Amino acid sequence: MSAEWLFYVFSVLSVLGAIGLVLFRHPMQGAMSLIVTMISLAGLYALLSAKLIFVLQLIVYAGAIMSLILFIIMFLNIQTRDLPEEKGKFFYLLGGLIVLIPFASFLIKVVKSLPGSQATIVGSGFGGVKEVGLVLFQDWLLPFEIVSILLLVSLVGAVVLAGKRRFGK
Amino acid sequence: MIQNYLILSVILFCLGILGVVSRRNVFTVFMSIELMLNAANLAFITFSRLHESMDGHVLAMLVMAVAAAEAALALAVVILLHKHKGNLDTNVFSLLKG
Repeated sequence: MSAEWLFYVFSVLSVLGAIGLVLFRHPMQGAMSLIVTMISLAGLYALLSAKLIFVLQLIVYAGAIMSLILFIIMFLNIQTRDLPEEKGKFFYLLGGLIVLIPFASFLIKVVKSLPGSQATIVGSGFGGVKEVGLVLFQDWLLPFEIVSILLLVSLVGAVVLAGKRRFGK
Repeated sequence: MIQNYLILSVILFCLGILGVVSRRNVFTVFMSIELMLNAANLAFITFSRLHESMDGHVLAMLVMAVAAAEAALALAVVILLHKHKGNLDTNVFSLLKG
């Protein structure tokens, strides 16, 4: 059962990356561990036979978005002395864990009660570019267009926010 | 077997909430939000595999587009705030407090 072994390897890697993101002090180290999480999530998508999402996760998430974040972190030139002092970090971590562990155990209980979780076999076209594209442009056309408007608005907003002020404020 | 993916998604989402709650660095808070979006994506893909329909894949693509838009805007806001305050502490950014 190599698929199960791969699942355990990828899930342990992704959880370790997420824990590193929460615990590392410098945002650069946090971003690196988040990249580990995203790449192992891409492996999990491949195990779930979502080929298009696997490629998009690697290109868009681990490639574009994370390199944008890394670029901004390096652009601001953050030294260790610029970081905010987090004195109550472990206190907040403990409080968050106390709140989140019942929440998580409840959700896991809900998940475990789901019916029909036997592994089925899907066709070779499942999750390919053509099939997902057909679903996208037939059933999800309106959300697709709304997302394109959202991307345009955020592009204009980012230019307006971060752009150079040409006249006095 | 397929429930383990959902359990992993729950764990990643809770770790994202933990990062948002416990950290004060604005970059770490932002990346924790990205982690929560990724956990939601994993749940979408898993349910899509479970029901053998590809609607979850389309929803995951839309979530990725929304995350890209959010990243662009949030990083512009972070640059602006860093220019004004010279700091990355989320407690400093309380301009709207009455």
